[in-house]
Amino acid sequence: MMPMLQVTDLNTYYGQSHILHDVSVSIDQGEVVVLLGPNGHGKSTLLKSICGLVDKVQGRITYLGREIKGIRTEKIVNLGITYIAENRELFPYMTVLENLKLGAYTKNARAHEKKNLERVFELFPRLLDRKEQLASTMSGGEAKMLAVARGLMSNAEFMCIDEPSLGLQPSLRLEIFRTIREINRQGKTVFLVEQNIPQITELADRIYVMEEGRISFAGSKDEALSNDHLKEIFLGM
Amino acid sequence: MFFGQDTILLIYEIVDVIISGLTIGSVYALMAIGMTLVYGVTKAFNFAYGEFYNMAGFFAWILIVPLGLKTGGYVAVFMMVIPVMFVLGYGVEKLLIAPLRKHDDWENKVMLLTLGLSLFLASLYMVVFGARMKTLPPFIEGTAEVGELVFSYQDIMIFVLSIGSILTFWWILNRTRLGMAVRAVAQNPMGAKIVGIPKERIFAATFAISTAMVGFGGVLLSQKWFIDPGSGADVMIKAWVVTAFGGMGSIRGSLYAAFIIGMLEAFVGWVFGLSYGILALFILLLATLSLRPQGLMGKGA
Repeated sequence: MMPMLQVTDLNTYYGQSHILHDVSVSIDQGEVVVLLGPNGHGKSTLLKSICGLVDKVQGRITYLGREIKGIRTEKIVNLGITYIAENRELFPYMTVLENLKLGAYTKNARAHEKKNLERVFELFPRLLDRKEQLASTMSGGEAKMLAVARGLMSNAEFMCIDEPSLGLQPSLRLEIFRTIREINRQGKTVFLVEQNIPQITELADRIYVMEEGRISFAGSKDEALSNDHLKEIFLGM
Repeated sequence: MFFGQDTILLIYEIVDVIISGLTIGSVYALMAIGMTLVYGVTKAFNFAYGEFYNMAGFFAWILIVPLGLKTGGYVAVFMMVIPVMFVLGYGVEKLLIAPLRKHDDWENKVMLLTLGLSLFLASLYMVVFGARMKTLPPFIEGTAEVGELVFSYQDIMIFVLSIGSILTFWWILNRTRLGMAVRAVAQNPMGAKIVGIPKERIFAATFAISTAMVGFGGVLLSQKWFIDPGSGADVMIKAWVVTAFGGMGSIRGSLYAAFIIGMLEAFVGWVFGLSYGILALFILLLATLSLRPQGLMGKGA
């Protein structure tokens, strides 16, 4: 079967600095794939490269067999890929509802706006209670949920989620992981970046590890758990 | 009778000054909102703003005087001039400003380019229309009298149309998809990109809306005063004063600032004479900017 998303020999640059070196990953439909690695080693850059948010990219990125490297973000979003940023990137002086509506900006998303809004409020009842509240007045955990919810509004099938647990207390982390599991059960494919959270392995079907801009490990959850090097540096076991 | 005749006359005069302040304020608000919008969304400053004001005046003049447009009167003029200004603004952004965004420090380059554009347009008007000022027929004549107070219908119309266009603008910004996208880009360009808003098109649309607004103001005021090919810079500076006082990029700030300045001009002008009104305006601006550099409602330095 053809993978849903395939990245082949990707090299990415920020100005003069070479960030990603010959990175190849592939993700199948319905999977939750987790990309682990230390901070500042290029994990976010890989997600941003997929979503067209980095200017200088070489290599191949195909989504459902179609080359998407170098095309504009709005087209990539319209094809069904969404990026949920680690720092959320919400619209601070707009209400929760306005943020969600803007999540459904592309043509494809607009056609399913009503259905997705209902689904999002089912998944995050707290957002329904706060739909008239300004995004800037929300707590860290709620803002995170809003970012995920806004991503769902794009009607994406493939969700790139960048460190959803960042800055959250443990109970909220578990809640957000549970929600991501639920989103996956509803059929979305998830490519998720995390640093070193032990609970994340519960969520993952497969794991990649990135160090210094290169993929240093690829394998199943069990393989990752039995790998001494990984256990030591990422899972703290 | 509680008041003497003098007191009543004084009250009438004060009411008259307040109304004049409101009228001036409403036009300032329209012009300043158009200017601050571009700054708020694209973070670049448009120095050619005042020339677009004159351009709309000249378009109206061409339609009414040489072409002798009679049918529909000013309604027809607005319906032709405003879309032309919108398309023109869109084109200027796409052709002249957008290419600059590929460079570092493009905000400053945009200022230099629009300054050049402003000089070019001012000279163009001189060459094409000559230095003599043009006048337009007023869109309405006559006065209404309420007791001792006399209102010209023209001033009432200017006030109503300015407020009407500000409300239309507010509606577009808050109730349409385009307006939501404009606000999204202003509040968080990265967030806007992530949800799939085509930022370049929004920049151009913002510039187009701004150009249409100043064009509307241009027709509105040109029929009261006159069209002066060299007045673009003055108009730009006036709009800038209101914008800077209110806080660059803040629409609400511009709105408050416009009415405060309108009132200040009217009252100082009434008490001390017209030229003192302008002086008071600049003193207010300097005092505000030295105490609060971001203006009344700016987001901080």
